[in-house]
Amino acid sequence: MIQLKDVSYVRLGSPDLEQAETFATACLGLQIAERGKKALYLRSDERAHTLCYSEGDPREQTVGFEVEDEASLQDAAATLESLGHAVHAGTAQEAEQRKVKGFIGFRDPTGNHIELVVRPERNGRRYFASRDAGITGFSHIGLNSTDPARDERFWTQVCNARVSDRIGDIPLMRVNAIHHTIALVRAPQAGIQHINHQVETNDDVLRSYYHLNERRVPIVFGPGRHPTSGARFLYFKGPDSMIFEYSVGVDEIEDEATHRPRQFGFEPTSFCMWGSRPAGMALPNK
Amino acid sequence: MSRTTPLIISVCYVRHAVGEPQACARFVSDIFGLQQVAGQDGELAFRSDDRFRTVSLSRDRSDGASIGIEVWDDAALQEIGERLGEQGFAVRPAKPDECRRRYVQSALLADDASGNRIDLVTRPTRSGRRYFPPRDAGIVRFHGIGLRSTDHVRDLAFWRLLGAEVTDWVGDIAYLRIDDLHHRIALHPSRQNGLLYAAFEVEALDQIMQNSYFMQENQMKIVQGPGRHSASNQIFLHVEGPEGLILSYVNGMADIGDRPRPARQFPLTATSLCTWGSESNGVPELSAQSELNRRNA
Repeated sequence: MIQLKDVSYVRLGSPDLEQAETFATACLGLQIAERGKKALYLRSDERAHTLCYSEGDPREQTVGFEVEDEASLQDAAATLESLGHAVHAGTAQEAEQRKVKGFIGFRDPTGNHIELVVRPERNGRRYFASRDAGITGFSHIGLNSTDPARDERFWTQVCNARVSDRIGDIPLMRVNAIHHTIALVRAPQAGIQHINHQVETNDDVLRSYYHLNERRVPIVFGPGRHPTSGARFLYFKGPDSMIFEYSVGVDEIEDEATHRPRQFGFEPTSFCMWGSRPAGMALPNK
Repeated sequence: MSRTTPLIISVCYVRHAVGEPQACARFVSDIFGLQQVAGQDGELAFRSDDRFRTVSLSRDRSDGASIGIEVWDDAALQEIGERLGEQGFAVRPAKPDECRRRYVQSALLADDASGNRIDLVTRPTRSGRRYFPPRDAGIVRFHGIGLRSTDHVRDLAFWRLLGAEVTDWVGDIAYLRIDDLHHRIALHPSRQNGLLYAAFEVEALDQIMQNSYFMQENQMKIVQGPGRHSASNQIFLHVEGPEGLILSYVNGMADIGDRPRPARQFPLTATSLCTWGSESNGVPELSAQSELNRRNA
């Protein structure tokens, strides 16, 4: 079984790195780690980077997950190949671009680009935000799925993900104590549905709501509160229509051995217990 | 003689005079979520906690509008009467019928310098039955009031005679404490007198936000919020009903304890009134833009 430790980074193609940088700093509030001609590296926590925009097609979207060590990486490659997934062994140059010691790439059953990495770089300097959004770190992703039941089996049987809760047939899955690191979302094609950063307090969520409104950033859902994880959230739209989320107060699963996933109905209150409704953001279709 | 007990304890009711009490009652009860109970003498009455009633609505412009302030006991009432009288404030004992109408044992009826009717009352009636609201708005209790003031120097003197102290200023808006909480009464400079808002404490942020979406869905006017007041840390949502009646949901006001500290001055800016960034929608007394709130002295 492939042991995922944590989500590590997201790589996004973008035709306009300047626009991406303006959004990432003035709106989202990340710190610029490195600005190359063809790539922009952004920090959100103690890691050297957690988001990278590279010049290219916005449909190029990749999620990286950390695994324990080189041996685990080789085992994972063998497992994936035996199941018929084409595995790309990352070159030294590609690894450098990702600020990791080694990685492999493959596609999940829906076709999402997934990378498994070892030894992603940390940064000795503490994270210093470009605006006071209160970000404490990159935390999880929403991942498109053309068949949530099939993809749940992939993430929970081939990999070590566990279902924390379900809304309809949409699983929220964890790979560590945090309620979810991967949220599957039903969609007609592969892609990242949203990118989550945790913030310090409720105040940060509400402050950002007013701040982003003022900057005319489309708020697509929230401020709200998920009854599943307990998190207070705000979803908003960035460049190339990518959706970003701030949230605070995600529950931890206290007892790994005895936790049973709860079933929530597929209805608006399962996504927000405060009563906010998505606008300009598709909730997973039934 | 220095007292060991405070003169006043709480803000215990608001009585509001309106043109259409029935239309207002639908807002207070169905929308805002207070429990309507039997009234008397044509007043519509509402509960928000274990008190017998905390809000009333009537058509009576002459004796239907007042703010109830609970006084420690009759000795305190007498002292208040003397203090206010000496300083030239209009004050008189309530007649038995006026006490009955207010559900209190004894009272002094006073006017502040702006002409706001302030009832100083003893033993406001409690209810043995628990509060049972018409919808799950999460209201816990009546919390406090905002008052419009046309003469803020004299009005401040009035409240200080009752033992209230200023905890903070935002421009010329004064926040007055009468217990361990940051404030129960906010004095807002205005061109008119009257109640600015009556605030009701809810359980948590969840209820502030749920009520915010509830108001949007019911197309009610939110005059400010959801927001967080910088000086007191209180989260708030101000909602406007018919005839300019503003009721507020609040939670999380700072407890400043019983150690005295000097009042702090905040500038009259939007961030002093809301640290999250909400702004007043059409109510000048709540706005940083209003010249009335600006310190001219």
